[in-house]
Amino acid sequence: MNEQEDIEQRLSRLAGATEALRPSAGFSARVMLAIEAEAAPSFLEATWFSARRLVPVAAIAAALAVVWAVQVDGSVDDALASSYAAVELE
Amino acid sequence: MDILEKAVDRVLSGDRSAFQQIVDATSQKLVRLGARIMGNQADAEDVVQEAYVKAYRALTAGEFDRRSSTNTWLYRIVVNGAIDAKRSRKRRAEASDEQVDPGWDGAARAEARLALSELDEWLEALPPDQRAALVLQSTEGLNNAEIAQIMGVSEGAVEQRLVRARAALRQKREQS
Repeated sequence: MNEQEDIEQRLSRLAGATEALRPSAGFSARVMLAIEAEAAPSFLEATWFSARRLVPVAAIAAALAVVWAVQVDGSVDDALASSYAAVELE
Repeated sequence: MDILEKAVDRVLSGDRSAFQQIVDATSQKLVRLGARIMGNQADAEDVVQEAYVKAYRALTAGEFDRRSSTNTWLYRIVVNGAIDAKRSRKRRAEASDEQVDPGWDGAARAEARLALSELDEWLEALPPDQRAALVLQSTEGLNNAEIAQIMGVSEGAVEQRLVRARAALRQKREQS
């Protein structure tokens, strides 16, 4: 800085002289890698996302299992009742 | 609507690859701004990279309300990041500055690095918020209203920071 250069002149000179600054080679690629890492879901997020799709299927399967269990239980009761009746007749 | 705003629209509609256009259109001026505030290019690139990740996160979460332009919004993220980093981070070695874009003229690069070093040394004693305000006004050519919007403060607060920064620089000159 020369003696005569005031603050505004020096700021102006340094603004011009630093105008040629630019990102280093590969900067843009590094940024996009960081963005990709940000966009990729974590293991837990991925597991939860996959598992979430199966919730309706699991709910339907559970409902069908209950219906089946009730039906089977009714059939067993009928069969037992029939067999008791048969024993009594004998 | 310019390329930048169109790229933001595409990211908002789920096209993640459009973020590359945002980076390509803004990285040069954001790194230059970051370098002028941080005082070296390596720290500036860290700050700008973090700023892009924050911007991406905000865009995909629908948090960018577009009350300001994309440019102003990115400037705000970088300036806030640089002020925080300046307050908390120790100056890093300049080693990674050696990785240079082959297309960049060597003499211009050397001159710019020298000037950046001079700027950093000169503004070193200023608090980060005063330094950022001065850089935005005197090297980026922004007016007080624009600086206020970027820094999230009133125009009066910007004026106060600029007056204090210049007073500190005058005092430093008188002492030397």
